[in-house]
Amino acid sequence: MTSHFSDRKDDQPSQGDRAREDARLVEEVLAGNQLSFQLLVERYSDRLFSLARHYTRNPVEIEDLVQESFLKAFRRLDSFHHQSSFYTWIYRIATNTILDFLKRRGRSPIQAVEDPEILVQSEPIDGFGPEADMEREEIAEVTRKVLAELPDIFRTVLVMREFEERSYQEIADMLGISIGTVESRLFRARARFRERLLKDHPEFSPGGGE
Amino acid sequence: MIDPTKFTCADARPLVSAYLDDELTADRASPLRQHLMECAECRTATQSHKAQRQWFQTTPPVEVPAGFASRVARRAFQGDLGEAPFQAAEDDRVLAPVLPFVLRMTAAAALLLLVISGALRSVEIPTGGELRADDAATMTLEAALERLERLDREESALSEVRSR
Repeated sequence: MTSHFSDRKDDQPSQGDRAREDARLVEEVLAGNQLSFQLLVERYSDRLFSLARHYTRNPVEIEDLVQESFLKAFRRLDSFHHQSSFYTWIYRIATNTILDFLKRRGRSPIQAVEDPEILVQSEPIDGFGPEADMEREEIAEVTRKVLAELPDIFRTVLVMREFEERSYQEIADMLGISIGTVESRLFRARARFRERLLKDHPEFSPGGGE
Repeated sequence: MIDPTKFTCADARPLVSAYLDDELTADRASPLRQHLMECAECRTATQSHKAQRQWFQTTPPVEVPAGFASRVARRAFQGDLGEAPFQAAEDDRVLAPVLPFVLRMTAAAALLLLVISGALRSVEIPTGGELRADDAATMTLEAALERLERLDREESALSEVRSR
């Protein structure tokens, strides 16, 4: 009799199983198996499409960016030594590919600098959330535009944490930085997001527009 | 170990972000929690951090185009480097405003050449002593246009005769 109760959701493989499968597929690709590479692409393309979607809304650009990321991964596959998961590894390649594209396209270069001036605020801050009557699409549009104005290192961690809900450890692994850096970078990124939001939309400031 | 009695707002504020992410270790979260219980201003700031998160809503998953994986795998094994896919779009943007003007000028030049070639077909090219270098020098613009019009009329008449 088949049990309908399982500790795992649906038929999702465990993280360990997935890592072993990825390792096997990588070895097969290196041995010249095209179908194995296709399986790897199928496995992770939806997540990379979602990632690219946070940086551009153009579907052609999204597809090109994800394709370029996989082609780069293919060329560098022999340098993947399983020190991280395959997804972590290709996520990093995809992030760099997307950021390079934004620079080539002519997005105004904003230098990522340390912000010693972002200090703890002494005044109490009242709610910075969207207004109750805002539509979901409108909220997403405001957020997208503010994010686009942030330095890459802030935008990246906000996307990974706020949209993809990754743990600090996952973010650290994917970006090749320490957890402490993730923590401080997220703190500064959120402060910068708030500053830009208020600059672009003063109506959202506490008590603004009333 | 952090002394909770010396834990100030300046110590608390940088930790709120990680605290709300549930990423603080117990030894760091404990003094913050105690401070928040005692400090209304920091509690308000924490509420504001929470409210700010409402700007980040999860978006529906992006649909992967059919056949994407097989296309990518094929290109990879064909040696496609997949670099610089966006240059054409940039070039198009540069050319776009100029292109209609260039096309119009090209069409006008082609029409002019056609008219001139038609006129030249009917002209008897003078040879030897007939050719006088001063003809062109002395001919005015009006005279030149008159001659072209006369040649056009002669050619039209000749075409009518041939078609009968």
